Amino acid sequence: MGRNRHGADPSGTGDDAGVDARFTALLEDSAEELYESAPCGYLSTMMDGTIARINATLLGWLGLDRADVVGRKRFADLLTVGGKLYHETHFAPLLRMRGEVGGVALEMRGADGGRLPVLVSSVVKYGTEGEPLLIRTTVFDASDRRSYEEELLRRRRDAEQAHAEAERARAEAERARAEAEQARAEAEEARSQAEADRSRLADALAVLQQSLVPASLPEVPGLETAVYYHTASADRLGGDFYDLFPLDGTRWAFFLGDVCGKGPEAASLTSLTRYTLRAAALHDPDPTAALTTLNAVLHERYAGGGDPRYCTVVFGVVEPGGDGSATVRLASGGHPPALVLRADGRADYLPTPGGLLVGILPTAPVGTVETTLAPGETLLLYTDGLTEARTGPARDQLFGDDALLAFGGAQAPASPQETVAALTTLLRGFGDGLDDDTALLALGVPALPPPARRPATDRPS
Amino acid sequence: MNPLNITLRDTAAGPVLHVAGELDYAHAATLRQQVDQLVLKPDQWLVIDLSGLEFCDSSGITALLAARQHAHTAGADIALAAVPAKTMRVLTIVGLDRIFTIRPAADTV
Amino acid sequence: MHHRNNVTVTGRDDGPVVVLAHGFGCDQNMWRLIVPALAEQYRVVLFDYVGSGGSDLSAWDPERYASLDGYARDVVEVCAELDLRRAVFVGHSVSAMVGVLAAASAPERIGALVMVAPSPRYIDDDGYRGGFGAEDIEELLESLEANYLGWSSAMAPVIMGNPERPELGQELTNSFCATDPDIARVFARTTFLSDSREDLRSVSVPTLVLDCAEDVIAPREVGAYVQAAVPGSRLVTLPATGHCPQLSAPEATAEAILDFLRTPR
Repeated sequence: MGRNRHGADPSGTGDDAGVDARFTALLEDSAEELYESAPCGYLSTMMDGTIARINATLLGWLGLDRADVVGRKRFADLLTVGGKLYHETHFAPLLRMRGEVGGVALEMRGADGGRLPVLVSSVVKYGTEGEPLLIRTTVFDASDRRSYEEELLRRRRDAEQAHAEAERARAEAERARAEAEQARAEAEEARSQAEADRSRLADALAVLQQSLVPASLPEVPGLETAVYYHTASADRLGGDFYDLFPLDGTRWAFFLGDVCGKGPEAASLTSLTRYTLRAAALHDPDPTAALTTLNAVLHERYAGGGDPRYCTVVFGVVEPGGDGSATVRLASGGHPPALVLRADGRADYLPTPGGLLVGILPTAPVGTVETTLAPGETLLLYTDGLTEARTGPARDQLFGDDALLAFGGAQAPASPQETVAALTTLLRGFGDGLDDDTALLALGVPALPPPARRPATDRPS
Repeated sequence: MNPLNITLRDTAAGPVLHVAGELDYAHAATLRQQVDQLVLKPDQWLVIDLSGLEFCDSSGITALLAARQHAHTAGADIALAAVPAKTMRVLTIVGLDRIFTIRPAADTV
Repeated sequence: MHHRNNVTVTGRDDGPVVVLAHGFGCDQNMWRLIVPALAEQYRVVLFDYVGSGGSDLSAWDPERYASLDGYARDVVEVCAELDLRRAVFVGHSVSAMVGVLAAASAPERIGALVMVAPSPRYIDDDGYRGGFGAEDIEELLESLEANYLGWSSAMAPVIMGNPERPELGQELTNSFCATDPDIARVFARTTFLSDSREDLRSVSVPTLVLDCAEDVIAPREVGAYVQAAVPGSRLVTLPATGHCPQLSAPEATAEAILDFLRTPR
């Protein structure tokens, strides 16, 4: 403030200094000339803003005629609309309150509609009683200054924008970090959920698996039995199955087989197979009839799709005789032959040639065989997990039929328990060579006392 | 374990698939996919040459049965050729020796 | 509220209460020239809206004050804190409309309205003349946003960083019209873009409308519109030029208000 207030009095009454007057006369034609041609705009208005005097400089800037302005326009009329609003809401009240306002930036509107950025200072002239008389105003062309301020403003905006962008980037990075953290937590949650699911699934599989094979074998008067069941993977339902159940007061049925495939579909097939065989055997205890029924059921159920479903199975009926022996009749649908461990130390396969996989043809041939188990003799049914177990240092040999026959011969004579125990030991020895499901079902006639057999090894506890 | 290696050869009578390696649970699906992609014409012969087969378990049997079904659906026939003795024993046990046409070699009729 | 709105109470403690509310641009100092006349017989309550004058700028909430309702809540809260009953609310400019809203939401607090240079709608509308085109208001707003119109306090942060011109920023921030430029932009938008015409018709308290003989912001036809819209209101045109008769014609303004206050209601 203050820098605009020391100009010449536009009323031209300041004549107290002769020296000043002389210099003034030297420099200017008159104070009037100075007022009119000063490098800034001057105007005086009534208190209501009506313009009483205005200098030529300001008229020139605005392109206005004096006659159109003096007594006709108010100061605010020279402003842009925005300038007018600002004048009325800020400038005029401030001037009334303070008696002076300095260096306020406004925009004036020229006759041609052009805008002139200006800096305006006003002072109220008061009368002797302190009453406001008029307003004196100076107007400076602020185009250059405004450009400079605009440039400052633009730079400030740029800086603010850059700051805002940096802030956004920082927030974005923070958000990404939080998201990563969240994703990690979710992954952890998913992992533990998967762990729980897996555990539940394993439980469910175990329950289901138990429905596919009996939890324990029933006691069969006059016979001994033993089983072994191994699934290759805890995650996968086994495809092997077996069962033993009474047909009537004297006969017992049993079966052991292997369905194709693994997992839930195999389990479904196993379930169908097991209960079909049980029902069929109760209806007609003939082994061939049971397998024929099973074949019809499976073929009806699974034929037609591009995905063959079948099983191999040995079905048998055993009838303990009154003389301490037992008669066994077997029917086989494509299953490896049963092995008999005789009392005299031999081991023999019981081939059932001519049988076919059960379920692949509308009618399937069934191979049958019959034998008698004397006291001390054991019949072994097994799945190919045993004969196809990989052996040898490189796991590139199969255990095979011949080895099984030889192993049986070495064990014979042996009770079912002894037989299964020996084979269990053998299978454990295969380690990871045993890569398929394996089921063993042995039944035999107890040896007559006194048993004349060599001491058993690996008797199960 | 040896991977399964399947090569396809077309003959006048029909396609010949040469299967080498092991047809086990891990690899049988490969053969099934190959067979499923075969387009067979009625009365053609699909010959599966097993001369290089080292091992065949129940999964392999299933794959062979699927091939048989695929051929029959198209009105074509199927033959197994050059079946190794071990596999032949398996086929005999399961009764497939009488279901499949067995040929000594892929190019014998 | 006392602190937030910089409330000042003066005049006769046992007198009827008159609340004086400033408009856009200034603060309670606006009433300085007429307070003495009112204070002789009345209890005079002055305050600053949040964002203006000596108010607590930390209470500024751009969302609340983006509508006149936010300012009306200031009024009601000030009245409630002082437990005013049937006070006469004198609102200048946009505050006249704030008073209408406050009286509607707290009728027990506000018993009469004096609307000084009011305008319910600054922008011309179909069949309505507010005095400005939408583009004029946009120009003001744009100009304000760009800090072109002597909004020197807005430039203050820049200019004060410029050692050649330290005095300008300091001067304007010390003036009573000074306000934070961001706040001023919001208040300007709220003021000039609002439309309170419908609110006028439901005013149910005695109302005096004061307009000025010459006012570019609230021309006489707007004063007449307000008087016609407010049921039972009186219109007095002050012999004043400009938008602030309490400054340019304080005696006439005070007399008109006192005359209204003395009228039995």
